Amino acid sequence: MPRVERSRTVQALRRVVHTVHTVELGETTGYEQGRLLVGRSQAEARYADPALAAVRVHVASPGDAVRIIAPLDVVEPRAKGPGGGMFPGWLAPVNRRRGPETHVLRGAAVLSAGYLPRNQEGLIDMTGPAAELSPFGGTHNVVVEFDPADGASWAEVDAAVRRGSLRLAAHLAEAAVEAEPDAVEELAEPHRPGEPTGGLPRVGVITNLQTQGAFKDVFVYGRSMAGSLPTLFDPAEVEDGAVVSGQYGHPALRNPTYLHQNHPVLAELRARDGRDLRFAGLVLSPEPVEQSGKELCSTHAAWLCRAAGFDAAIVTKEGAGNADNDLALKVDALEALSLAAVALYAEMSGPDGTGPPLVAGPRRGALVSTGNYDQRLRLPAVERALGGDRLRILDVDATAAIEAPVAMMLSALSPLGAGRLTCRAEEAA
Amino acid sequence: MERAGIPTALVTNLVTIAEQVGAPRIVPGGGIPYPAGNPALSPQAERAWRRRLLERALVAVTTHVDRPTVFEVDTAEPAGA
Amino acid sequence: MRIAHYLNQFYAGLGGEEAADLGPRVIDGPAGPGRLLQQLLGEQHRIVATIVCGDDHAATTPGVSAELLGLARAAGAELLVAGPAFGSGRYGLACARLVAAATAAGLPALGSMHPDNPGLAEAGTAPVIAAGATAREMRPSLQRLAAAVAKLATSESLTAADGRIAQVARVGRLVERRAAWRAVDLVLRRLGGDTEATEIPVGGFDAVVPAAPLDKTASAAVALLTEGALVPAGNPDRLESARATRWLRYQIEGIEELATGAWESVDGGFATVAANADPNRMLPLDAARELERDGAIGRLHGEFLVTVGNGTSVATARRFGVEWAAELRKAGVQAAILTAT
Repeated sequence: MPRVERSRTVQALRRVVHTVHTVELGETTGYEQGRLLVGRSQAEARYADPALAAVRVHVASPGDAVRIIAPLDVVEPRAKGPGGGMFPGWLAPVNRRRGPETHVLRGAAVLSAGYLPRNQEGLIDMTGPAAELSPFGGTHNVVVEFDPADGASWAEVDAAVRRGSLRLAAHLAEAAVEAEPDAVEELAEPHRPGEPTGGLPRVGVITNLQTQGAFKDVFVYGRSMAGSLPTLFDPAEVEDGAVVSGQYGHPALRNPTYLHQNHPVLAELRARDGRDLRFAGLVLSPEPVEQSGKELCSTHAAWLCRAAGFDAAIVTKEGAGNADNDLALKVDALEALSLAAVALYAEMSGPDGTGPPLVAGPRRGALVSTGNYDQRLRLPAVERALGGDRLRILDVDATAAIEAPVAMMLSALSPLGAGRLTCRAEEAA
Repeated sequence: MERAGIPTALVTNLVTIAEQVGAPRIVPGGGIPYPAGNPALSPQAERAWRRRLLERALVAVTTHVDRPTVFEVDTAEPAGA
Repeated sequence: MRIAHYLNQFYAGLGGEEAADLGPRVIDGPAGPGRLLQQLLGEQHRIVATIVCGDDHAATTPGVSAELLGLARAAGAELLVAGPAFGSGRYGLACARLVAAATAAGLPALGSMHPDNPGLAEAGTAPVIAAGATAREMRPSLQRLAAAVAKLATSESLTAADGRIAQVARVGRLVERRAAWRAVDLVLRRLGGDTEATEIPVGGFDAVVPAAPLDKTASAAVALLTEGALVPAGNPDRLESARATRWLRYQIEGIEELATGAWESVDGGFATVAANADPNRMLPLDAARELERDGAIGRLHGEFLVTVGNGTSVATARRFGVEWAAELRKAGVQAAILTAT
């Protein structure tokens, strides 16, 4: 029987980019020529939920003398346009077909801030030396503070804040759908095994997601990956909000939803796709809490990469020492199968940087340093604080001048590779 | 502490890290948040398991070792628990 | 130059671990390895006194450095040498603190220990010369030390060429390229055959020489310790939830088990629900008491020591280990059970 040629072309996802230069609060949400207006009551309405007594919407822009404390998740405003479908598992069904265009309000972010259990107190300074260390010191942030309702459980409050943030993010981006884009970026799907490579190596990325239960979980299609095995995953789904962070530990080492939507390693692999490498794909993996689970996920992830025809994999984590264990095991498992492996680690060398950098490193492989967790910075006082009045961890007024470790600055040591911090070995004084 | 002559049983779930830092006597624990616990077991079974864990730790400190050694604890529920 | 030489109890010939609690004392002239050091120093310099202290006493007694310094000055010393401590943690800690104190007080001082000695950090900016890992390398270590002493005596500054171990610090820097770009760059280099390129050194594991086992625990004193941040409910002494700067001790004398609600874990690195519901899951006091009653343990030490491992730097943790060792030895504890999260 003659073989029927099946069409192999899959429509590429298109990022329709609308840049944001200013953000203001106003009557009605709108977007025009780089100016985003956030309708205050429309924004508040996105958070309507029995678990929340009240919310307050603020704007904090780069350069403002504002410190955001106790930040929770950060979400980039994105929308699918007519037909919808953004944030499957939260705002949209998971199996609904989505259009090929994803509208992005680049330069803006929706961010909730306030107390939740296990929210290890972080901060974002919009001015001063800490501003350039957090990716969100450079975004125009729509900051939502919240008051829990009497009798609501923290889990209910957490879910309400998350849904509100996702709704607000989609709502804001929808305002730009009709606008003339500032850029359109085509995101080709990963190179398929068996297709010609032109002699270029096939390089993929394994992204580990924290799966430690309440307030320390990352959701895929609205569900925890705890107990799952690592899986190949469509990067286009991540663009459309399939990965949402509900994880609030270790501020500097946290990967908020925004950084999954703008996955740095995916971006860098795509940037060099066809030139120096072929972008081979994305694997998502849980970070089990016990040793046997970690070992299983690591050997399975390595097998999966090899079966998918990767020549190499970059491995990312979320969290501190416990997550380093998963990195080390995965790198060793990949290298044992003759795949080149690189992992992104943050160092914990102590305040003067003289301690051994890592506790759990692999036996082989290459490591990127995203900076020193323990390094301390002096931050000047600010005029206004959002997310709370007091930095409980330092027992000072939230606007005060403080000395703080990099560990506190949201995503400053970004394990997904968003930051420009690293460590260099230098002679101690 | 080992270097100072005090044999030390390290009860931890992160066996790989313990091996890497050179801990000579490692007893695998119940879970990161509960090294000496196992909430999945009934209270009596958990208490009995914890005793066996400590007994294993005592074996570890009375055993000669040359390199990081893992002293496994059985996880079976005792008969009649 | 008139030199005071600091040694621990072992190298001074006053005994082994059983003498580790000896307080500060002076021996006239050189002792132990000081004799070889004197030979190497020749006629120009004289070791006029050997200052001795037991390792445990030195590691656990506040103000001991000042006391030792006083003894050195009383002996007429113009320069202080401490060690070689090789890899011994408590000895290295004592040497490092002493040379730091001496230098700060204006007495030229020089320490000697292996670069990996956990005590090295406490020397601060005071000079420390590299020694071998063990006493098998006594002679070459002393040769290097003697040469450095001669230089220090003429007020010349010591450099890496003299074997000076400056601590290497890994300093945070903002660079042009973000980490994700550098990861792709590294992987391409690795694929291209450069297997050495890396931003953080890879491999290399700590070698701990295990302690000799106890014969039996039935007559032994055993201590429980934890790095899971278990503290009395309310955290009255405010132990940090991460990045520990201290450790604490709590009484368990007469307590049969840790009562729910009376204790909590303040560790920020994991969900503490299970540990808080039953604190014995973090510090297994109930089972330990059972074993004590049944005669499997001689006695349980009356305190437990606690710190938080979450985000705590390895250097700090190593120093705590040295301090805990000294504490436990002072209390006559013979074995330890440490729970780690």
